[in-house]
Amino acid sequence: MIVEIGHFAVVTAFVLSVLGIVAPIVGLRTRNADWVRVGRQAVTLIFVLLAVGIASLEYSFLTRDFSVAYVASTSNSKLPLFYTISALWGGHEGSLLLWVFLLSIFSTVAIWLHWRTQPAIMPYLISVESMVMFGFLALIVFLSSPFDRLIPAPLDGKDLNPLLQDPAMTMHPPMLYMGYVGFSIPFAFAMAALFSGRLGEEWIKVTQRWTIFAWMCLTTGILMGGYWAYYELGWGGYWGWDPVENASFMPWLVGTAFLHSVMVQEKRKMFKVWNLFLIIVTFSLSLIGTFLVRSGVLTSVHTFATDPRRGLFILIFLATTMGVAFGTLIVRGAKLKSQIELDSIVSRESIFLFNNLFFLVAAATVFLGTLYPLMIETWKGSKVTVGPPYYNAVFMPIALGLLFLMGVGPYIAWRKASLDNIKKNFLVPLIVAFAATALAFALGFRSPFTIAGAFVVGFVTTTIATDIGKVSAFFARRDRVNVLRGFLTAFTVNQRRYAGMVTHIGVLILVVGIIASTVYKTEKVVSLQIGDDFTIGAYRIKLERVHDVEGPNWSAKEGVFQVFRGDRLLTEMRPQKRIYAASQTPTTESAIYAINMGHVFLTMPEISPDGSVTARGVLNPLILWVWGGGGIMGLGVLLNIFRPRKRDE
Amino acid sequence: MLTRGKKIGIIVSLLLVAGALAYLALGNFGDNLVYFFTPSEVVAFSSEHYDQKVRVGGMVVKGSVKSQSNPVGMTFELTDGAATIPVTFQGIPPDLFKEGQGAVVEGVWTPAKDFHSNMIMAKHSEDYMPIELRRAGVKLPKKDFMKTLVQ
Repeated sequence: MIVEIGHFAVVTAFVLSVLGIVAPIVGLRTRNADWVRVGRQAVTLIFVLLAVGIASLEYSFLTRDFSVAYVASTSNSKLPLFYTISALWGGHEGSLLLWVFLLSIFSTVAIWLHWRTQPAIMPYLISVESMVMFGFLALIVFLSSPFDRLIPAPLDGKDLNPLLQDPAMTMHPPMLYMGYVGFSIPFAFAMAALFSGRLGEEWIKVTQRWTIFAWMCLTTGILMGGYWAYYELGWGGYWGWDPVENASFMPWLVGTAFLHSVMVQEKRKMFKVWNLFLIIVTFSLSLIGTFLVRSGVLTSVHTFATDPRRGLFILIFLATTMGVAFGTLIVRGAKLKSQIELDSIVSRESIFLFNNLFFLVAAATVFLGTLYPLMIETWKGSKVTVGPPYYNAVFMPIALGLLFLMGVGPYIAWRKASLDNIKKNFLVPLIVAFAATALAFALGFRSPFTIAGAFVVGFVTTTIATDIGKVSAFFARRDRVNVLRGFLTAFTVNQRRYAGMVTHIGVLILVVGIIASTVYKTEKVVSLQIGDDFTIGAYRIKLERVHDVEGPNWSAKEGVFQVFRGDRLLTEMRPQKRIYAASQTPTTESAIYAINMGHVFLTMPEISPDGSVTARGVLNPLILWVWGGGGIMGLGVLLNIFRPRKRDE
Repeated sequence: MLTRGKKIGIIVSLLLVAGALAYLALGNFGDNLVYFFTPSEVVAFSSEHYDQKVRVGGMVVKGSVKSQSNPVGMTFELTDGAATIPVTFQGIPPDLFKEGQGAVVEGVWTPAKDFHSNMIMAKHSEDYMPIELRRAGVKLPKKDFMKTLVQ
């Protein structure tokens, strides 16, 4: 009964989304604000109804009502409570419901938050958000309802995919969706700006915090996915250029380009059409990401729905959204001839331009690599895959180029940088960069990745440090306080800029971590009897014993390994080979020991009947910098969002 | 306002960078593409395909898997119903690799008519078939297919 209430609520929400589209348009036609108010109430009600839908489905999960088909297919009576809650988004239908629920939260908050200050934008915002919700609700109601009953009810459920029974994986989809959905707010504002002809800088200033919040969610979601892949899939890597990973990476790349290039429009009133174009592309890629993952057109480690009707539906929805968005941009964009032109190639504007160019090429590369197999198959009939070597070869120069621009952009003058300005800001960093390169070479590093990395990281670190040092000293002198207090003043006076610097520092740390853990990863696969040991790097790993362990819904063989450095016992590591009871699926659980900012990573993928085991040891130097860098990037964004408001904002 | 010369300079430098990046993105395709074949196609390979990295999808023949411990790996046979190829694999197979189920292997076909691989991709579920195989139009009615393996 409860689940029918949820079903009814979601169907009602679907009907209301039509009202949400139409009412504000009627309001615009008749110049009657009451109609816009109707639209606002419709969106708010959609949010309430979807909350009821989510709650009823969650209730069915918690009461283990296996007569609900979706509950039966993604949970089991022995599934622990925590994963029973997160099983709601463990499958296709529930994920979509979560997607549109998050969208309804964002829309409702945005509408009430900006209701007083942005009355002219409101009808368009409500209508556009309702349109997106209409599309997803139609998909849920007609093609993939999580509320369908399964009669007769099975005695027990099929269980949640064991690989998804993991803390990082429970938070990964919601974070990713919040990123996707979050970009719908600047997208809707951009569309509103296009439709209403109010094409100033306002929509960018109003949505700045939304954009950067969405970006943070997407970044966190991607990193969580990488972390999950790292320790749960047991191959010791965190990024495999899998099509589904790529699907979330593309909106991130264009979104990052967007949140940089809006600054040029704010400060210099340039790039107007370009910014509209970027946000439309970002949101379209968010939809394409959903489409690629959910339609089953791609071969991937993620096995998802392969109902062709769903794929077709999302494709039509996508084509409509993009058609309308780009169509309006072409019709209205002509009005937007920028009055100001680029003054010089040596200026901050042009650095932003190159930043955008690099990000877009990166996104295009991923797009091409992901869809090329489909194109080849359609045209030539042969089947092909594009593997990690392609992406690694293309991405290394692009990433290093972007990193270099990161050191130049914030410190070069707007309009036209004089030779003096360049010398003052970049002479010392360049010297440090060359010194760092020479040092890396002298220390015996030969990989071009590391050498180029040392140059760029040395350069950027010095530019950031010099800037912070200079400005701290300035405020310390002005207020007659010490440098640390001076730094705090500098930070709060221009918090947006320095929060950005925090994120940039996070990026630097992340990149160092990626280089170290990619280039200097050591891996060893051995077959061991009990009592045997093997050495990897500076460590000796000895198999002590193998015993049985029982979990709530799995049983496992656990290997006990002792890790020595020289003769000193460092720790004990316990990787497992699990069998999940309901699905009889085996999984390999890794054991991780953190030392010197790196990881000793151990899995035990096979146990022979004769008692010998196969062990895989991986040394990942500086891998903690990858996750730590990601955390610092997030911190920078939070400092940006929660900065004190300035008068002109 | 810009002088004509400067404007051209900006456009040229943008085009140069864009061109270099485009070359980077497209020029790397050639060597890094991995084509997908069925065992029947592999058996019919001419010598120019030898020792080229390819992917092959098929079913792992029941009873054919033999493990080795030094170096860690195994040998098995892969079939599409019409042809069967021997595979020598080094490394650790994924959790879901099983006899009688679908798998995709990446590696090279050697002149000795043996497939050398160091990567296996396997998937869930009983009736899983590699998606490339299904797209290739290979139809394996499951029961009949099993019968051919038993015989």
